[in-house]
Amino acid sequence: MIKTPKLLATSSAMALAGLLAANSAAAAELGDVKDPIKLAVLEWTGAQVSTQLAGMILEKAGYAVEYVPAGSFPQYSGLSDGTLSATVEIWSNNVGDIYPRALAAGDIENIGSLGLETREGWAYPRFMEEVCPGLPDWTALKEPACAAALATTDTLPNGRLLDYPADWGSRSAEIIADNDLPLTAIPAGSEGAMIAELRAAQATHSPLLLMFWGPHHVLAEIDLGWVEMPPCASDDPDKCVKLPEVEKVVWSGFADKWPAGYEILKSFQVTSSDQEKLMAAILEEGQPLEEVAAGWIDSHQDVWQPWVDAAVD
Amino acid sequence: MTDLFRRPGLLIWSVAFAVCLALVLLAPQVRWIASFPRALQLPLADWLNAGLNPLFETVQPIGRGFATVIDAPLRLVRDLLLFVPWPAFAVAMFLVALRTAGRGLAIFGLIAQLYIVAVGYWTETMNTFAIVLLSLPPAVLIGFGLGVAGHRWPRLRAALIVVLDLMQTFPAFAYLIPLLILFGFGPSAGVIASVIFSIPPMARNTLVGLREVPAVIIEAGVMNGATPGQLFWTAKLPAAARQLLVGVNQTTMASLSMVIIVAIIGGFNDIGWEVLSAMRAAELGRCLLAGVVIVALAIVLDRITGALATGTPRGVVLMPDRGLLTVVAAILLAGIGLRLALPGLELLPRGLGFAAAKALDRSLLQFVGWSDPVFSGLRDALNYGIILPLRIGLATAASPMVWGFALQPWMVAAYAILTLALAVVLAPRRPAAALLILFAALILYTGLARFPWPCVVLIALLAAWRIRGVGLLAVVSTALAMILLSGLWQPFVQSLYLTAIAVLFCVLIGGAIGIAAAENDRLSQIVRPISDALQTLPQFVFLIPALMLFRVGEFTALIAIMLYAIVPPVRYVEHGLRGVPPHLVEAAVQMGVSRWQLLRDVKLPLAGPAIRLGVNQTIMYAISMLVIAALVGTRDLGQQVYIALGNANAGLGFVAGLSIALLAIVADRMLRRN
Repeated sequence: MIKTPKLLATSSAMALAGLLAANSAAAAELGDVKDPIKLAVLEWTGAQVSTQLAGMILEKAGYAVEYVPAGSFPQYSGLSDGTLSATVEIWSNNVGDIYPRALAAGDIENIGSLGLETREGWAYPRFMEEVCPGLPDWTALKEPACAAALATTDTLPNGRLLDYPADWGSRSAEIIADNDLPLTAIPAGSEGAMIAELRAAQATHSPLLLMFWGPHHVLAEIDLGWVEMPPCASDDPDKCVKLPEVEKVVWSGFADKWPAGYEILKSFQVTSSDQEKLMAAILEEGQPLEEVAAGWIDSHQDVWQPWVDAAVD
Repeated sequence: MTDLFRRPGLLIWSVAFAVCLALVLLAPQVRWIASFPRALQLPLADWLNAGLNPLFETVQPIGRGFATVIDAPLRLVRDLLLFVPWPAFAVAMFLVALRTAGRGLAIFGLIAQLYIVAVGYWTETMNTFAIVLLSLPPAVLIGFGLGVAGHRWPRLRAALIVVLDLMQTFPAFAYLIPLLILFGFGPSAGVIASVIFSIPPMARNTLVGLREVPAVIIEAGVMNGATPGQLFWTAKLPAAARQLLVGVNQTTMASLSMVIIVAIIGGFNDIGWEVLSAMRAAELGRCLLAGVVIVALAIVLDRITGALATGTPRGVVLMPDRGLLTVVAAILLAGIGLRLALPGLELLPRGLGFAAAKALDRSLLQFVGWSDPVFSGLRDALNYGIILPLRIGLATAASPMVWGFALQPWMVAAYAILTLALAVVLAPRRPAAALLILFAALILYTGLARFPWPCVVLIALLAAWRIRGVGLLAVVSTALAMILLSGLWQPFVQSLYLTAIAVLFCVLIGGAIGIAAAENDRLSQIVRPISDALQTLPQFVFLIPALMLFRVGEFTALIAIMLYAIVPPVRYVEHGLRGVPPHLVEAAVQMGVSRWQLLRDVKLPLAGPAIRLGVNQTIMYAISMLVIAALVGTRDLGQQVYIALGNANAGLGFVAGLSIALLAIVADRMLRRN
């Protein structure tokens, strides 16, 4: 991972790592500036913000950029053959097997983390602390009264944990089994379903426990508490809740065609707080994505200019 | 259904019931009855992957070449549509609508376009329009070709109809992966999916049109010494022209209904994409704003192509058509000229939709909060009272946890005696009804999801054989074997049960609305636009409010399915009742029947064929919603389709998709009796 200059000053070890990173991000040719770099724009606002920022920085470096809407599963087909050049926000928690398979096939390349400070785990609207006293400690979920409050027809007599859609893959059912919790994980079907439930639960004060992650735009609207998860019983890290990785991925021919662009995208980072602010401006105030992103570019030149300078001759 | 049980049938069905009863009683002891043995399951999906993926990769270059061929004109059409300034486009559209479909549609179209500009979706709408425009010619040509082939070689016809049925019922989500492998990422893959789905209506209408050319016309042609080719082009084709145009109309609507699938692949900033991302963020307002654009587009295209098919009684002739064409072309060219002269001109205002969408979202949440006592009561009553017992059966629902009491042996005995008594009373006069009651009572006892699988297989095979004979029997056996062996039995039963309940409620509620609308003109006027909207609004729009009111789960899926599948019974029942010849109604009235008798004994029986067609369509609509309804959290075949998509498992997608398609086709064949 590439450290930003601010961090370099903090420790000499980091400085060394930073120097190595800076060396690896060696200045390179621009490459083909006529043929646009095609960035995949995914369905959720966070990814739209990240993509727009990455695209605008590439434009500052002199590239032509095209923003292409892409489904989160179909995009791998486009990235594999260069129809799409890059995608900057792949969440390890919602991709299923299609992503590891495409990586293994060698047609796409993971170029590191986007740098978002993520979180993931079981979450609940704040009023749940009255329904299940003892939250956020996970042992509060063991209480029969808590399970009864969460129970639905699908889960009787257990309480319901609203889980990720089945196609994302999830670990909640195993965690429940490992810890003998009176809960049943019910897949939500889609992200929209999870958010609709969350909003409805908040509006009606009806009990809800759900697997969730951040940064997410709905967190600006609803204050969630996060369960302090039970210690992971399994040795297999894939079966535990851990911080999801958010990664940048390029088409395998990217580095040859746009060498400097490749270095810029490798350096490209977005902080969670920046992304959350931009999402709020779009979703709460209705400002157009392009204007919001342009505003960030204007006010954060100190952040992105070094990425461009280090990459371009 | 009574002729299901003609004399020999009666015996067969009684034996079948005895077998099922025995199986139900044995199920707790014998494991393989309760669930299909895992050891017998085969990795069908893996085999398919192993066999098909190399095949797809071999023909990939052809597919990719094909996609490139589509891509260029698609982008050209889009760029052209976007280059024309919107006021020029709107005026041109107004003139075309005025000439073809009349004043009402022209004004509607103008308002719709102003709306699209105001909410800020002009670009997206033109992108969608480009996709529809480009998928139309291939769909119409291929459909026409297939129809002609089926007409020319009658032996091909049976196979052709099965292929058409598959194209229409195989969920597009399920073949997305092979589609992407073959044609690559981008709008061309979406266009191809859309073409596949919209070919069947054209082919079917071509078949019907050519078949129904009056014999007189053909004879006249033959007597004049026409060669077969001349006969086809100069006699049959013109005579079938109207039906062919109906085909074009239905093909347009079918291709428009695929915009969401096109958007799921992506690559094109179209209106479906807006619906999808709004759905992902659970924003009803934005979803609805974009959905209304699709409805407006559907109405305008439907009425214009429909008017071309049926002649134009309402079209307003301002000038000769050639003159009109010149004027329209001049307006469009003037628009392009203006754009060329003033390159910086930006005529699209900033979208005003945001505030409206936000307000709508807020009021929905307020409504959800305010109505919660009502809806949580309703939710619990329906869930505990109907949905859950139907799924897990009285045997399991009557537990302290669900109904607050445990099932006592005397209750089971009473239930059995009551059912038997009812059957015995009915048996002498209506033996079929007695048997139906016995079966229903048995299924109600175990629940649909826990009804032993051998019984389901037995009933399905018997029904297929008794209704349509050996052909359908073969189809049903193959389908059931595939589902059982691939381990998809549980998701399949869930699908079956969701479809069955949805169809039942739709026919009851929709039928009642249809009857009321047939009896009352004012109600009919209110119902019609609602039906139109329910049918053309992307189904995703319903999911958000349904989720907020009824929460994740089967019940919400049911509501979503019903909102879509309720349209055919409403339409067909009303249409059938209104189509009853007036002189028969007159005669009955003069014989002094009451309004109720008139409806029950005269109108409903006469409307029978139309109503049966409506039920058939209800089933098709309900099944076509299974995949979308899985987005609210079901454990049916639709969920398997998404899992297949997420894991790039083309084989699983194929098996799950084919199961859904076969379910639809078998249901259709059973209802459409010869």
